[in-house]
Amino acid sequence: MRLLSRMSQGRLRRLMTALAIIGPGVITANVDNDAGGIATYSLAGGNYGYAHLWALIPIGILLFVIQEMSARLGAVTGKGLADLIRERFGLKLTFWLLMGLLFTNLANTLGEFAGIASSADVLHMPRYLAVPVAAVIVWLVVTRANYATVEKVFLVACLFYVAYPISGLLTHPDWGEVTTSLVRPRWSAEPGYVTMLIGIVGTTIAPWMQFYQQAAVVDKGITIKDYRMTRVDVLVGCVVAVVVVFFIMVTCAATIHASGQHIDDAEGAAEALRPLAGEYCARLFAFGLLNASLFAACILPLATAYQICEGMGWERGVDRRFGEAPEFYTVYTLMVLVGAGLVMIPHAPLFGIMYYSQVINGIVLPIVLVLMLALINSKSIMGEHTNSRLGNALSWACVAAVSGLVTYLAVETVLSKGA
Amino acid sequence: MVFWAEAYLSALLRYGVYDSAGRHLGQLDDLVATPHNRFPEVTKIAIRPKRSKEVLYYPWALVRLASQEGIRLNINGAPMTPTAPDDTEVHLRRDLMDRQIVDVSGKRVVRIHDLKLGGVNGRVLLTHADVGSRGVLRRLGWEHFALGVCRLFQIKFRENLIAWEHLHMVPTEGQLVADKTRDALKRIHPADLADIVEELSAPDRAALLGSMDEELAADVMQEMDPVALVAAVNELDDEQASDLIDEMDPDAGADLLADLSEERQTTLLSLMEPEEAADVRKLLAYPEDSAGGLMTVEYVTVPQDVTARQALEIVRQQAREVTALYHVYVVDQAGVLKGALSLHELIVAEPEQSVRELMKSDVANVGLDTGQVDVARLVARYNLLAVPVVDERGHLEGIVTADDAIDAVIPTSLKKRIPKAFA
Repeated sequence: MRLLSRMSQGRLRRLMTALAIIGPGVITANVDNDAGGIATYSLAGGNYGYAHLWALIPIGILLFVIQEMSARLGAVTGKGLADLIRERFGLKLTFWLLMGLLFTNLANTLGEFAGIASSADVLHMPRYLAVPVAAVIVWLVVTRANYATVEKVFLVACLFYVAYPISGLLTHPDWGEVTTSLVRPRWSAEPGYVTMLIGIVGTTIAPWMQFYQQAAVVDKGITIKDYRMTRVDVLVGCVVAVVVVFFIMVTCAATIHASGQHIDDAEGAAEALRPLAGEYCARLFAFGLLNASLFAACILPLATAYQICEGMGWERGVDRRFGEAPEFYTVYTLMVLVGAGLVMIPHAPLFGIMYYSQVINGIVLPIVLVLMLALINSKSIMGEHTNSRLGNALSWACVAAVSGLVTYLAVETVLSKGA
Repeated sequence: MVFWAEAYLSALLRYGVYDSAGRHLGQLDDLVATPHNRFPEVTKIAIRPKRSKEVLYYPWALVRLASQEGIRLNINGAPMTPTAPDDTEVHLRRDLMDRQIVDVSGKRVVRIHDLKLGGVNGRVLLTHADVGSRGVLRRLGWEHFALGVCRLFQIKFRENLIAWEHLHMVPTEGQLVADKTRDALKRIHPADLADIVEELSAPDRAALLGSMDEELAADVMQEMDPVALVAAVNELDDEQASDLIDEMDPDAGADLLADLSEERQTTLLSLMEPEEAADVRKLLAYPEDSAGGLMTVEYVTVPQDVTARQALEIVRQQAREVTALYHVYVVDQAGVLKGALSLHELIVAEPEQSVRELMKSDVANVGLDTGQVDVARLVARYNLLAVPVVDERGHLEGIVTADDAIDAVIPTSLKKRIPKAFA
């Protein structure tokens, strides 16, 4: 009789194992939709209509390919990305890469706090109270709270994004036009359009996500043996993320762009939810933005501190005292302070900050990708789990495309300034 | 041969290599050393000729002079035959720089930023690893600047060097571990070793565990965090894993197996020693958070109607199989728990006294499905070292030792904090 209960326990255990493994991919892809994400996607849909929709499917595929590479690197080597880069490419390159990562992540953190400030404005809370309070909450959550609970709370709050498809459907967009825009690539040489494209790539495939994904896989103790489950987790996360992005963009296009309005700030973006929530659209939007920003603000500085210390070989961990891990606490606290501090500068362009932090992501992405490709194709590191030809082709295409866009934008900017 | 008193590998790697006539032979690519002495000795030099991808090795004995102007070899343009390094030798740059290494005296894992070499009697030895910030700055080329700034402010910028004799490399697959490493690891408490092992990556963990003596490895595994342990076991091959689980206490073995996939569980159980496997299988039948899941089947029993002297004989025979002896449990012919007595009482008693007189018949016990919190409460309340576990009819099935009972309750809150994470 005990054996029977053991057997059903086996099935239950397998479900629990699956649930335990499912996590990193879904979380990563959904933190995608943080303040910077909401801002970028809203701006894309609101100011450009359906013009960028065609990019979603290629970006979605690339997102999966790249996140899967991160997960595979973590499962096979059992080491984090910064660790691997350090061992393979040496200290100098690692140092400069981590400095770049610090800068990018700082910009992203700034974006998160901008999101908090922005939602505070919409909810008529004093910005100069909300932001410091949020910074304190973030610090406390990280050092005191039960991470499992925090993760669950966020996952539940992610349900907020359901508001977008509902709102979108209520506006009855022209589905014919949506479908055509989804499949037919469009190009406009206008720098704003190109910047937006880079921003969409950068916010969907943020460099810090590759580090985080790999670290989360390592931390969960996933080895190449239980890898199949992880792949599913990554796939599910990516699909969900892209679907959410699609709806944000379509909804904003159908409500804001169609009516000829232009988005400059959170209030403007909140209009997208008016069909659903009417008067309360702004409050609904602000709530969602606040939630996304807070959670990302908890993860991002912490992840950055961990990764920098990992790459440089410094002691790290929230269970250590300051004296035991000074560099770790310094980086972490710095990020929270600077992020929160800069946002409180009067007349700081909040929405602009949220958007441009993602453009920076897009610019840094090819660099990280090139390094990952070098690592993942190395037989000595990956054994038989190196990339397939298709994986390589897609990744290199991504590197080429994004680098091309960035170069184009840089040249355009220089030339236009010159003229 | 003229050599500097001490130098850093990062500085040396910038040097060019020349022959006696001053012709440039190439860039210094690496140094090769024998790893097995207290301080490894450099035996070969690796040169990368200009415009060539290939690396050539030459014996260190050929080096006549090493200074900031370059390294001079004692040869004249005549073609020399390069030697090849053998597999037991270690490349200082390729295998050690930027790697993680175990610091035995500090009981932790450190990352090597730079290596310090010293010249003694014409030999060059690897003396220290630089694991501090000065090493980082030196690699970046900023050490002089930083030192200058420190001098300005009268701050001392201390080096963080660890003597090589305290350091041990994590063996890569198939590599043999030096005896001195095994000895050094034995001196560290398993709980500290577990911390070290957890800091390594999963494949390295498996390599290190596989290189230790099996008993030590089993002790370490019992102290490890379950997630880290499972990841490490997934990297071990079946033979190694089953041998190690054999050495573990059955309850720890059962906990580990319960966390593995069912097919791996079956495979490993079939490879284990039959008695060990039987014990573990029995424990696997119970949920992890119950007394049945916490208990061990290693305990000593005596019948009621024997004398103290006879009982001691019985205990002596059984004790060989048991890890730790706290109490002796008295059971009847059917195996029902009748009482218990401590080893102390047994030894102090008159040899002819009957166990039935000596034993305490009212023994605190728990059922197989008692929850772990209740077990811990009982242990705490009666200050027990171990509590016997009985089935519905009173048969003694196992005992839960105090450390396991409390273990099950305390770290739960700690474990749920932000994961070791990202790391």
